[in-house]
Amino acid sequence: MKICVLNGNSDPTSTDFDAYVSRFCEVATERGHDVKVLQLRDMDIKYCIGCFGCWVKTPGECIARDESAEVCRTALHADLLICASPVKMGQVSALTKKTLDKLIPLVLPYFTIRQGEIHHPQRYEQTRDLALLLQKDGADEEDLAIIERSFRRMCINFDSSFRCLKLTDEPVEEVVDALVAA
Amino acid sequence: MHLLLLNGSPKGESGNSNYLLQLLLEGVDEIPGHTHEYANLARVKQHSHYVGLFQQADVIVMAFPLYTDMMPGIVKTFIEELEPLCGREDNPALGFIIQSGFPESVQLRALEAYLEKLARRLGCRYVGTALRGGGGNVRSMPAFMAKKVTENMHALGRSLGKTGEFDPEVIRRFALSEKMPLPQLWFMGTFGDRMARAFFWHREMKKNGAYERREAQPYALPPEGW
Repeated sequence: MKICVLNGNSDPTSTDFDAYVSRFCEVATERGHDVKVLQLRDMDIKYCIGCFGCWVKTPGECIARDESAEVCRTALHADLLICASPVKMGQVSALTKKTLDKLIPLVLPYFTIRQGEIHHPQRYEQTRDLALLLQKDGADEEDLAIIERSFRRMCINFDSSFRCLKLTDEPVEEVVDALVAA
Repeated sequence: MHLLLLNGSPKGESGNSNYLLQLLLEGVDEIPGHTHEYANLARVKQHSHYVGLFQQADVIVMAFPLYTDMMPGIVKTFIEELEPLCGREDNPALGFIIQSGFPESVQLRALEAYLEKLARRLGCRYVGTALRGGGGNVRSMPAFMAKKVTENMHALGRSLGKTGEFDPEVIRRFALSEKMPLPQLWFMGTFGDRMARAFFWHREMKKNGAYERREAQPYALPPEGW
């Protein structure tokens, strides 16, 4: 399985989280999966400014020409997209959120009906599952439920399936099993 | 009451959120005795200055659009700047106006739950969240729809000016239906979509010489090694 991990840890001094993500990737690779990690804090990713340029000027590409193109391409071709992030103020990190905003070129501006609601049609035929790997950092059960609810909604928009939410306080082997289980 | 209006639209002053905030302010100004300040969160480098304004306000109203089912990246960046203020006793009251291009209110409910929790996390009194699907651009709406939005924002502003709260009845009127009834959904997904294509999306694409490439797939090839 092709797995894309978006590491949204914005703090280079928070080495525990990065070490967990590295170990996660090692274990997943040992089990035969093809894993690509994007260290978002080292990438040049501009904020989405809502200009619709990726729909009406350079269809399918952000006009900012930053490294979000690499994020889009890797996420698009993954079977599983994992958002790995410390929880900050009750949600994934701003770095993660900024990056997710830049996935909009993967959909078309038009309307389609999905699950009884209006959503965007996909620009590509590929679909992928989505999972969350979070470091709690003081988050409570209510926070985690709200995060999962937000990502379940995002999955409807991207015509993806939500796999599960796992925490970095669990043994890495068990988390790999849970996240990548078919 | 000293009010701080925080515009969280990545489009800045030209966005719908700013328009709604200005309508809200007109309503607040009908009640004498209030002062206000305004900050544009798209100016990310100013965020630390805006944290100072946050601490000086009695009431804050933050407005922004739904971006990939949550707040826009610039808004999350600002929220993380507020972390040192969590639990302070003198934090201001906090309210929100959120909107989405999708027509159903249900698409905004997870974000609403987050914002209510955010107010609790900060120790702010929660003024409420006015949410509306079918946001689009109020200035390009049919006049009868724009009139309703204007009236509701003025009423919300008046209730804020009088009581320091968002009137729940105005919040209820402002929101569109949770999910669309089947006939309306079918209309929106077929004729509504075709009209939006013809009268907006395709016009814009043609203006930019991008119409022929409208369904381009620039990332069709996998990344190296995949």
